[in-house]
Amino acid sequence: MSDLICENYPMVLVMSRFGIALGFGEKNIGEVCRQNGIDPCTFLTVVNFLTEEVSAPMTNIDKCLSIEALITYLHNAHSYFLDFRLPHIRRKLTEAISGCPKDVAFIITKFFDEYAAEVHKHMAYEEKTVFPYVRGLLKGIKDPKYNITIFQKHHDQIEMKIIELKNILIKYYPGPGSNLLNSVLFDIFATEQDLASHNHVEDYLFVPAILALEQTLQ
Amino acid sequence: MPMSSFVNIAIAEPSAIIRSGFEAVLKRLPGLRVQLFEIATVELLQETLRLHKPDMLIVNPSLLGCYTLPLLKEETGCTEMKCIALLYTVTDPILLRLYDDQINIYDSPDEIRNKLERLHTPPAEEIENEEQQTLSAREKEIVVCVVKGMTNREIADRLFLSTHTVVTHRRNIARKLQIHSASGLTVYAIVNKLVELNDIKL
Repeated sequence: MSDLICENYPMVLVMSRFGIALGFGEKNIGEVCRQNGIDPCTFLTVVNFLTEEVSAPMTNIDKCLSIEALITYLHNAHSYFLDFRLPHIRRKLTEAISGCPKDVAFIITKFFDEYAAEVHKHMAYEEKTVFPYVRGLLKGIKDPKYNITIFQKHHDQIEMKIIELKNILIKYYPGPGSNLLNSVLFDIFATEQDLASHNHVEDYLFVPAILALEQTLQ
Repeated sequence: MPMSSFVNIAIAEPSAIIRSGFEAVLKRLPGLRVQLFEIATVELLQETLRLHKPDMLIVNPSLLGCYTLPLLKEETGCTEMKCIALLYTVTDPILLRLYDDQINIYDSPDEIRNKLERLHTPPAEEIENEEQQTLSAREKEIVVCVVKGMTNREIADRLFLSTHTVVTHRRNIARKLQIHSASGLTVYAIVNKLVELNDIKL
């Protein structure tokens, strides 16, 4: 397990979204998963998906993939972004731009808040509409008014606006440069990528898995 | 740099080795930013095209089976899509006449780049203002109006322009600044002192 993390450090986020804490000693992936009550197949599917840079929807998803576990993973990722990552960036950003003119600081913060609200809305839709629908499917109940293709069609990229913020800071930030501001920029770059790969999991792994599930119920 | 714009390319090719190899070559081409969609079977072809509407399709003609290109373009709504045949061997030119171009697996990266560049024509206006990325005085005026919450109609009346011209200006502004949302423009305008906080509706 530690080999996996050291070779590809963003996997530490995947691990923690599956509910695995650090400090697992020399144990291998299978042992760590079993000890934490996590389905190793789902864990490995996500890890492999992310490391292989899949550029098409998955077609041969392993039967052992637990959709329930995948939903928990996506849900934990949502709370990571909403409850930790975005508030954390906001705190750092407000501090980093505190030295620049008041109106500039105000408008940048406002832009960030609007962005955070958009991410909230995007993820709330998945939490309130998509996940309950899929949990129903798992129980064998098919909501006749909804299907995963609706989600697939409306699922837009949420990293666009944070890219704008990044561009504005890079090109037009009027105050003096600082280590803290650079660090915020790094955080934004990382979040942009993290959000993109999160969406990628939803589009290319989650959606195809649900499509397959829908077919078994028809 | 006409090629620095984004290109969506779908590659329909049964061999995973060729697909991955092609992706590796594309990634190394300078000035070309590609989003690649891999398609392994004819069943996935339609679906992927319909969903992603790529600018170009690079396809192994043998994968198409009984499909013809015009039919495929029409059924998937990709009428503008350029099609390039991906060839392993010498092929009868008659079979290739519906393709916009062809790439042989022995083509050098430079040859591939030239072919892609030739087919990927960015809109005319992009070429004109290539090196000019700063806003003109007129464009700045328009930014100020947008930020104040005016509609295109209102902006047109205020500046004695047609709404069509306003729309064109707005498109150019978005492209030059890489800012597409009104709230992003607000930040731009405040940071660059085009407006004061009191001037704008928040």
